[in-house]
Amino acid sequence: MDQVIKLKKKRKLNRADWRTWLIFLPGILFVLLFTIYPILKMFVMSFFDWNIGFQATSPFMGLQNYVDVLTDPIAIRAIINTFVYAIVTVPLQMIIGLAVALLINGIKRLNLFFRLGYYLPVITSWVVVALLFRYIFANSGLMNYFLVDVLGVVEEPVNWLGSRWSALASAMLLGVWKGIGWNMIIFLAALQAVPKNLYEAADIDGASRRQKFFYITLPSIKGTVTFALVMLSIGAFNTYTPIAILTGGNPMHQTEVVLTWMYFQTFEALNMGYSAALSMIVTGLIMLVTVFLFGVTRGKKVA
Amino acid sequence: MVIPMYYMIVSALKDNATTFIYPPDFFPSLKILDFRNFQYIIENVLFLRYLLNTLFVAFMTVLLSGIISSLLAYSFARLNIPGKKIIFGIIISIMLVPGLALIVPQFELASWFKLTNKLWGVILFYTAWVIPFSTFLLKGYIEDNISSELDESIFMDGGSVFTVYRHIIIPMASPSIAAVSILNFLFPFEELGWSQAILKSDEIRTLPVAISMFFKAHSQTDWGYVFAMTTMAMIPVIIFYLLLQKYFVTGLSSGSIKG
Repeated sequence: MDQVIKLKKKRKLNRADWRTWLIFLPGILFVLLFTIYPILKMFVMSFFDWNIGFQATSPFMGLQNYVDVLTDPIAIRAIINTFVYAIVTVPLQMIIGLAVALLINGIKRLNLFFRLGYYLPVITSWVVVALLFRYIFANSGLMNYFLVDVLGVVEEPVNWLGSRWSALASAMLLGVWKGIGWNMIIFLAALQAVPKNLYEAADIDGASRRQKFFYITLPSIKGTVTFALVMLSIGAFNTYTPIAILTGGNPMHQTEVVLTWMYFQTFEALNMGYSAALSMIVTGLIMLVTVFLFGVTRGKKVA
Repeated sequence: MVIPMYYMIVSALKDNATTFIYPPDFFPSLKILDFRNFQYIIENVLFLRYLLNTLFVAFMTVLLSGIISSLLAYSFARLNIPGKKIIFGIIISIMLVPGLALIVPQFELASWFKLTNKLWGVILFYTAWVIPFSTFLLKGYIEDNISSELDESIFMDGGSVFTVYRHIIIPMASPSIAAVSILNFLFPFEELGWSQAILKSDEIRTLPVAISMFFKAHSQTDWGYVFAMTTMAMIPVIIFYLLLQKYFVTGLSSGSIKG
């Protein structure tokens, strides 16, 4: 056995000639130029009062940009808003998506209308759905009409997009609504990969539906749960378009998320150094969250 | 789920002035519905131009990122490259950096290459954004589904890594390449921040930028026009979905089971 592996290794080693590099290097050079270099550049910029333009000087600032970000109440609020958005939308869309997937798992072929209904929000552009929700959550919009006139649970029309938490609630509802379909798709694929004989064995042992879910289904789809958790959390930190269109970060920067605030600092306030420092901080936060999520899902075995 | 979508289409068919009437007219009589908003968009907005721009960006992004990420995926999965595990790790961790976070250095790079206000300025950077995830998915697929004995047999017959790439990897990884392509195709229909920074002239805008600019230009009130435009913008995506239904589910769910 060892010899076979050695032989294979030798063959592969022999093959590492100019052709190998021709396959490998173009992609690596592309990534180096368009992604790695900008990342390093951003890191450098975060220590300068960076100015662009002809004959512009960029004085060295040390950690001042980081201090500026971390003592800026709007930046802190933007980071809190982003965390709230992630903590609410990620589990909610996963739970609803999984619930729908469990419901329709047995059905062999869903009709086109149903499928289109769930996939439509997934494939529709964020720009389109955000505009739509802005219209629905307007003062004289559909949401207020349902709450005030149809259900009668609210007396006065709510100014949804006019204050921090109600605007964020609208954005989170949009996020969940758009995300359910994707979660449903991936959980459906995962459920269909669970071996059927596990359920048959559980039936023989007289397991309840709840037991089957917690002892068979959930452990079997653990990989998918982790994948969704990580991807959606990264996605939540990448939120830009829904907030940019729903509120533009207003009123008074109350509803900024990290990326809308960074965009504002870059293009409106022209604080390049500040936004580079903010970018570094966000990237650091995403890394921490990802490591934390992998730690949680790995450490605490669901089974 | 579909209620908001239904409401959008109905509002697109209503006269602009009636879109602000309270209570909202959820089931309007057919008599007040017409296609005048659509007519307005077609006559007053470069809609077809925006659509072609978006399609061009989408196809080029799919093509470029498909070539680059399949080459990288093949390298990482099979080729004997010193330190490839570390390099792969670095490429994967790029996914943790929000695309928009790099907007300043990438914008400087784009101006350096004179790519601002050009569609290629969007295409090249979109490609750079999607490469890590595409490479991750394709590498996983190659490792799990294509036996390396096939490579060996090609080498025995005197073939090179090029032969393997063209005659083994590309055809056999095609389901995964299709899935990745779908994701990358949808991206230009979605992305706003970068395209809005790069595409300044009206005639080269992609749909997300054009829609958002139109909305702002019409004092954020002409909902009839806005929804006519968004409804039209959805049509190509829906056609795309109907044509590729089979690959869509694998496209959206790829990478998820292995985790």
